[in-house]
Amino acid sequence: MNSILKNTLVGCLFLLGIISNYAQFTIPPKPAKTTEQKAVYDYADILNSEERQVLNSKLIRYADTTSTQIVLVSIPDLKGEDIGVLTPRWAHKWGVGDAQKDNGVFILLSKNNRKIWISPGYELEQYITAGQAGTIVRNVIIPEFKAGRYYQGLNKGITVIMQMLNGTFKGNLNNNISNENNEFPIFFVFILIVFFLIIWSKKRNNNNSDHNNGKNKKSPSLLDIIILSNMGRGGYSGGSFGRGSSSNGGFSGGFGGGGFSGGGAGGSW
Amino acid sequence: MKFIYRIIGCILLACSLNSCGYYNNMVSLNEETAEAWGNVQTAYQRRNDLIGNLVKTVKGAADYEKSTLVDVINARAKATSVNINPTNITPKQLAQFNKVQGGLSGALKSLLVTVERYPDLKANQNFLKLQDELTSTENQILTARTRFNGAIKPYNNYVKRFPNNIIAGWFNFDVKPYFDAEAGAEKPVDVNFEF
Repeated sequence: MNSILKNTLVGCLFLLGIISNYAQFTIPPKPAKTTEQKAVYDYADILNSEERQVLNSKLIRYADTTSTQIVLVSIPDLKGEDIGVLTPRWAHKWGVGDAQKDNGVFILLSKNNRKIWISPGYELEQYITAGQAGTIVRNVIIPEFKAGRYYQGLNKGITVIMQMLNGTFKGNLNNNISNENNEFPIFFVFILIVFFLIIWSKKRNNNNSDHNNGKNKKSPSLLDIIILSNMGRGGYSGGSFGRGSSSNGGFSGGFGGGGFSGGGAGGSW
Repeated sequence: MKFIYRIIGCILLACSLNSCGYYNNMVSLNEETAEAWGNVQTAYQRRNDLIGNLVKTVKGAADYEKSTLVDVINARAKATSVNINPTNITPKQLAQFNKVQGGLSGALKSLLVTVERYPDLKANQNFLKLQDELTSTENQILTARTRFNGAIKPYNNYVKRFPNNIIAGWFNFDVKPYFDAEAGAEKPVDVNFEF
């Protein structure tokens, strides 16, 4: 008698567990080791391993030079959750970005729901306003996704985000990027201008301040390489520079505990 | 006799030192709730500002239904008229705040539904951006409210417990009210359109 009762009870609890699991998306626990706290988590399996590595190393290198952590996560399904709520909550839970600077960016993509969302950390909201994030999604990412090119869409979107954060984005989102193929020469000139601007501003920075100890001085041109290696190329060849030791690794020091206000924008395709 | 006085003095001193600790804890917990409340108000303020822009943009669209616009404008005026002192939030005040902001959410919702009928507006880049900002702000409001409730909880737990409640009574650290779900606004305003 007792055992029957026990079994039904356990069964009920099990069922309850299934129901509650079904009704809500459970954010995976933050990876325990800092070496596992990387930039790309492709739970929905939308990228191949090479694409994953290229994006991951691009984002890790960006974090090494700027300390801004951009994390990209794909999930199979939202399970009824609102993506605009889930994205910043997940980001806040994992603490993407530095705790003092709150400089994380979290990009969440749900494959079945065909939705993507970008949430900036507190301090980055001024550089990537919701309107801008929405425009990136609408005009840069979604056109590629509609053609089934996940990697190209994400790669281009991330590049634009980086440019916005650096203050070097000068393009017109409405025209330039969506039909990039026709305008390659213009784009190339644009890259050159950006390149020289960055070098010039870096030089000035180095002259002005000595408090950039080690980290920045070590690799003054890394950012330029990132931008050069990923812009305008679009395709699979994008990351040929970056197959370094960091290609599969995590952020140095892991997620820093950055905060998110809940804002962000996105769209569906 | 002197000895007894000394003992009583020591006990009194210990008690007051002890209550100092309680008091300080209450102050810091109280500060956290005030900060969380500040974030709630910032998010709502931001929404008010955005609604101003929205009204302007929508007004520009030809022969737009005036009644829904007027509703939004009135609800906004009502919402901005309710202010709460963060150090002394009473349940009544909070309920009122919730009500007026909920009214604004409702008016905003119906405005955005009617916008569906205006293809010009839906293709307008500025309008699309404004929609992104509004959605974002609604989510920020939701987050700020949740975190406010999260900050209230440890404060209330602390203030209610014995003997803290006695000390809390001396210094007017009252139990603070939680945010209830806004009527009809449990979910953020859905301003997503098909792209």
